[in-house]
Amino acid sequence: MNTKNPSLPMKSATISTEHVWAVTKAFLIDLFLWSYTFLVLHKVIYEKLILNLRYPEFTWMQPTYALLAGIAMALGLFFTRLSIGKAMMGLFVLDETKSIMREPFTLLGLLKIALTFIAGIYISQVSMREFFSEAGLQGARRIFTALFNPNFAILQEAIFAAIETIYMAFIATAIALPFAFLAGFFAARNLMMGSNLGFFLYTLTRFVLNMTRSIEPLVWAIIFSVWVGIGPFSGMLALMLHSIASLAKLYSEQIESIDDGPIEAITATGAHPIQVIWYGVVPQIVLPYLSYTIYRWDINVRMATVIGLVGGGGIGTMLMQYQGLARWNEVGLLVIVIASIVWIMDYTSAKIRAAIK
Amino acid sequence: MTLLKVKDLQKIYPNGTHALKGVSLEVNKGEFLVIIGLSGSGKSTLLRCINRLHDPTSGSIQFDGIETTSLTGSGLRTLRSRIGMIFQHFNLIPRSSVMTNVLSGTLARTGIIKSLFGIYSEEDKEKARKYIDIVGLTGKERSRADNLSGGQQQRVAIARALMQNPTILLADEPVASLDPSTSHSVMQYLKKVNEELGVTVICNLHFLSLVREYASRVIALKDGKLIYEGSPSEIDQQWFQTIYGEDAVEVTIN
Repeated sequence: MNTKNPSLPMKSATISTEHVWAVTKAFLIDLFLWSYTFLVLHKVIYEKLILNLRYPEFTWMQPTYALLAGIAMALGLFFTRLSIGKAMMGLFVLDETKSIMREPFTLLGLLKIALTFIAGIYISQVSMREFFSEAGLQGARRIFTALFNPNFAILQEAIFAAIETIYMAFIATAIALPFAFLAGFFAARNLMMGSNLGFFLYTLTRFVLNMTRSIEPLVWAIIFSVWVGIGPFSGMLALMLHSIASLAKLYSEQIESIDDGPIEAITATGAHPIQVIWYGVVPQIVLPYLSYTIYRWDINVRMATVIGLVGGGGIGTMLMQYQGLARWNEVGLLVIVIASIVWIMDYTSAKIRAAIK
Repeated sequence: MTLLKVKDLQKIYPNGTHALKGVSLEVNKGEFLVIIGLSGSGKSTLLRCINRLHDPTSGSIQFDGIETTSLTGSGLRTLRSRIGMIFQHFNLIPRSSVMTNVLSGTLARTGIIKSLFGIYSEEDKEKARKYIDIVGLTGKERSRADNLSGGQQQRVAIARALMQNPTILLADEPVASLDPSTSHSVMQYLKKVNEELGVTVICNLHFLSLVREYASRVIALKDGKLIYEGSPSEIDQQWFQTIYGEDAVEVTIN
């Protein structure tokens, strides 16, 4: 049993590439899980828990040894019922009368989850001692007392900042709207699959949108604050970019779920493709679009607050400044203002969306 | 005078379904041709190949002397504008008025920019009112089309098709989702269009009683092949069972 593949063809009479692929994947899953187990056992359970090292030394030899041990273990157990990879790829013949919870691989899997849980607690530095320590509780009492005694002297300033945040979110949504509207058509599978050019545009649009969306607005805000300077403008740009990507995805999904009937009927009148979209597609998507867009504004107001923390302007920036000065009474007031606008936006957008359904 | 000449038409869908296996037929001007056959026999595919909502795999279709199978772009749109079509599920524009729906029949001759702003010529608006009157919906111009009853929606669809000034009207099971009395009313309107406006009608139907009442000629499809052609009165019990299968029993609609 030196190599995995040559020994397998003898096991089954017919070998398809699919089967070989499934076995390979199963082995890779086993290999990963065992290497992971050895690494966690050594770094967390042995060094942290048993030796209680404060700063354990790291060398690249450790993961290398874990990998080697992982290969040995995965190979050794691959032909037993302890192979989680084979179970995941559906390569075991399961006994219908026996509960899956009694299978060896299930128990092994649960053990590995338990190990991850223990390691997670240590890595997150969960400490009941610090949570209930004298100094800690005093700090908590101080900050909560201050938060519940907000300083209303800065109310006016806070409301102006909140208005800035709401407008910033609104403009980000409004500017994103036409771009997302156009991109939504290009990202809709049912409209674009007709031709090669359509397929190319569809793939390109989807790719750009996914890339944009996978970068958090917080990161965009940092990028734009270097580009255009700290302030509401950089926050607005960050929200706008993220809104275009998110709205275009929602829009395209809406287009993909419409009824083909009107499209067929308008096509049959001899209309131009642009007219087909305007008369056959648009009337079906206007209200869902409106609903998504209002919801997006609501989300943008919340995000604008967070983005303000990295210098995107508005009430978030104000919060960051007072927090930096440890002026908790002012922070308390800002928390109340933020909670109020979020609640009002949430309520209003839900009401509007319900009304246009 | 032959208006439509279909020759050896084949249609294979991308999923491998062989929907039409060499259908040939001719349609004369002014006919009320009814196509019958089981679901999946190729009736809808045949209609959709005529106005190129589907592209035939092979074979030829000549409409008014023009070979249609090779048309693209504006030539194809001109062809479609001369062929009206109504559907089983009406396929009206949702959330739009009866007037907007009827006027959408003129899109082929209205400029793209004008149609995006909903600007139609006075002549077309006048005509739309006339056709709304013909299908008995006067006073409903401003109503939302999707709030009307099924029969009324199908009449809006007929008015929309008439706005195209069609030479032929294709009707794909126009009464299949309507109740019996409404079915007759819609068929009456189609007959009126055929007799009074001189529009040739090709119609897919399920109920033989309707076929006998309205058709001037019948063809039957089975498994993508044309198996019967003749007058509606000649469909006897034996033909009925050939078309619909041994176990079929005729259901009438009054």
